[in-house]
Amino acid sequence: MTTISLDNTKYKAEIRQKTAKPLLWIGLISIVMFFAGLTSALIVSKSNSIWIKLEVPSMFFISTILILFSSLTYQLSMSFTKNNQLKFATITTILTFVLGISFTVTQFYAWQQLYQSGIFWAGEQSNPSGSYFYALTALHLLHLFAGLISLLVVVTKSLLKKYSPTNVLGIQLSLTYWHFLTALWVYLFFFLKFIA
Amino acid sequence: MSAHQHPHEEQDFLFKYVFSQDHKMISKQFLITGFIMGFIGLSMSTLFRLQLGFPGESFWIIDFLLGSWAENGVMLPDKYLALVTMHGTIMVFFLLTAGLSGTFSNLLIPLQIGARDMASGFLNMLSYWFFFVSSVIMLISLGVEGGAASAGWTIYPPLSALPQAIPGSGLGMTLWLVAMAIFIASSLLGSLNYIVTILNLRTKGMTMTRLPLTIWSFLITAIVGVISFPVLLAAALLLVFDRSFGTSFYLSDIYIGGQVLEHSGGSPILFEHLFWFLGHPEVYIVLLPALGITSEIVSTMSRKPIFGYRAMITSMLAIGFLSAIVWGHHMFVTGMNPFLGAVFTFTTLLIAIPSAVKVFNYITTLWKGNIKFSPAMLFSIGLVSTFISGGLTGLILGDSALDINVHDTYFVVGHFHIVMGLSGIFGMIAGVYHWFPKIFGRMLNNNLGNAHFWITIVSSYGIFFPMHFLGLAGVPRRYYTNSEFPLFENLLDINTLITWFAILAFAGQLIFFFNFVYSALRGPKAPQNPWKGNSLEWTTGVKHMHGNWPGEIPTVHRWPYDYSKLNENGDYVTGEDFIPQIVPLGEGELDGGGH
Repeated sequence: MTTISLDNTKYKAEIRQKTAKPLLWIGLISIVMFFAGLTSALIVSKSNSIWIKLEVPSMFFISTILILFSSLTYQLSMSFTKNNQLKFATITTILTFVLGISFTVTQFYAWQQLYQSGIFWAGEQSNPSGSYFYALTALHLLHLFAGLISLLVVVTKSLLKKYSPTNVLGIQLSLTYWHFLTALWVYLFFFLKFIA
Repeated sequence: MSAHQHPHEEQDFLFKYVFSQDHKMISKQFLITGFIMGFIGLSMSTLFRLQLGFPGESFWIIDFLLGSWAENGVMLPDKYLALVTMHGTIMVFFLLTAGLSGTFSNLLIPLQIGARDMASGFLNMLSYWFFFVSSVIMLISLGVEGGAASAGWTIYPPLSALPQAIPGSGLGMTLWLVAMAIFIASSLLGSLNYIVTILNLRTKGMTMTRLPLTIWSFLITAIVGVISFPVLLAAALLLVFDRSFGTSFYLSDIYIGGQVLEHSGGSPILFEHLFWFLGHPEVYIVLLPALGITSEIVSTMSRKPIFGYRAMITSMLAIGFLSAIVWGHHMFVTGMNPFLGAVFTFTTLLIAIPSAVKVFNYITTLWKGNIKFSPAMLFSIGLVSTFISGGLTGLILGDSALDINVHDTYFVVGHFHIVMGLSGIFGMIAGVYHWFPKIFGRMLNNNLGNAHFWITIVSSYGIFFPMHFLGLAGVPRRYYTNSEFPLFENLLDINTLITWFAILAFAGQLIFFFNFVYSALRGPKAPQNPWKGNSLEWTTGVKHMHGNWPGEIPTVHRWPYDYSKLNENGDYVTGEDFIPQIVPLGEGELDGGGH
């Protein structure tokens, strides 16, 4: 008796090539809906009389610059890989990872700023406006951790020289996700600044 | 698609039956887990119907099954609430969402579109195991201190947001939320796979307008799921923050035991908005696969092409779209601006149009058909019936001026059980009868199937039809007993009657479960194409194989509804009353899907 092996590498690679990107994109749509739900919730909550208008902590500006810059370096890394400049590609990927970590650090500093200015996450002295600030940014950061893990994988594979100009799917997926995180952050930043 | 052939390698037990990545095995896993959950949910409803039909009377079965949840054979009031909550949760999510979509999307998508498996077998496996873990946690929550979640399946705050509110608001509620978060992850992983597989892995010739309507329904269901489930996750997360960290997203000015809580600035209505943004599409997540299954069965068993193939697709797309903009009709009594209420009334009533198109098409397909009344067909026709009768009361509830009068009464319970519960379950059961030969390679017993159908249709109308009258008389839903109120005393007989029908319905399902288990093990061996169907799944072997087709995947040449197609002489084109999708079009022959 014969059967089709779905475990052979060629078949798997073919299916992955066809489906990995759409899988990611539809996953991103679900994340968009998740944040759309949260930001709509904020708009509804805003109508409450005890809502306090908050200033965006200055550290969030730095976060924004860092994450924008990280998207740029990651894009560069992709171009380097496609041009077979693998050494530069590895360096820029590592730089992206470092920028991602720096973004994370600035988020913690921003929360500290919020806390010091008397804006609390929860408890008697908290206001839903403050809670939304923490919740939205923390949930974005949670998604960013997944991005950092994907970056780590790409960095490791780059160091092991697994990528080539014709084999970039892994980087492309991670890059798309990273750009998405940047766009999401920029949206959240302007949303918090002007709407919340 | 290229496929590498090599001698068959037996997978070991663990990877073949437990951590399988084969869509057919995962489909079986969803089916069996879903049925176990469904049986538990059904048993719960039968038990609390005993309390409603015979309030305060002692039953040994209640004592035996509920243990500390009952006293002297009478269930405790707070545990009644827990049972109602868990019944709703299990039936809506575990049986009719994961059980229905998980089973049939997994089974039929690759088989009917001509793919070897899902886009990602690994994500598919994860989807099942998340569902399994979620089911286990939900069942464990029945046994924790304080009992299971008791705030209703809609878990409105503040009951769900304050652990100290009622006994069921404690650990039981926490576990409910954990289970649902995992469930949502499972559902999203499944939906991702379904969408991408349908869009990217169709075999040669399988254009979108040659897809069976089952596949269209699974596709639209998955899209609706991807759009709405994340919003429920957002709602649940904010609820977790309120419960566990002391935020005030949904809470404000609450007094418990004379003490004012520190929460301020939130609104429980916000939760309702977020919840129903999923909650209403959820109705269609349950319903659409059932409608897709019915389309396939009605056409095959009438030996006629489905009437209005494109209209069916358009209606499902319209229903999917409209389902996302009607959620406010669950909230007419929340102090909603009457203008906004009118907008939601308008969008809600619009759904009647595509629904009516579908019903019209079902009936027109049946009209003058050479109908084979198999159990699957009976349940499909049953679905058409419940879709009409439940849909008509939907018109009443969709209209704010009428809804306000019967809000939170048994009228609502009767309505949604018929239109969503019965339609969903009839569709699922019809699917099991129809594709049982494909799932288990054996045939179900027809006589037991017929008995199952007639008992189920009579008893389920017996249960839910009288509920409308209870509702019109003002009997509120979710009450432990209605006999305490002199106003409702003369309605006790109706409640007793409903309970008798509930017991009958339960007994009817035992016939089905017996038939299911016995036939899966000992039923007669199935032929390859027992219903003479056209779609691709009937071209695969009876015995399952990884990869579905031993050689190349067949090419598709026509739509799947060429039944009883005649040539100019009035004879069947191929000598039989069906033409499988793999048969090339004859000279000058038009493909049906294009019309």
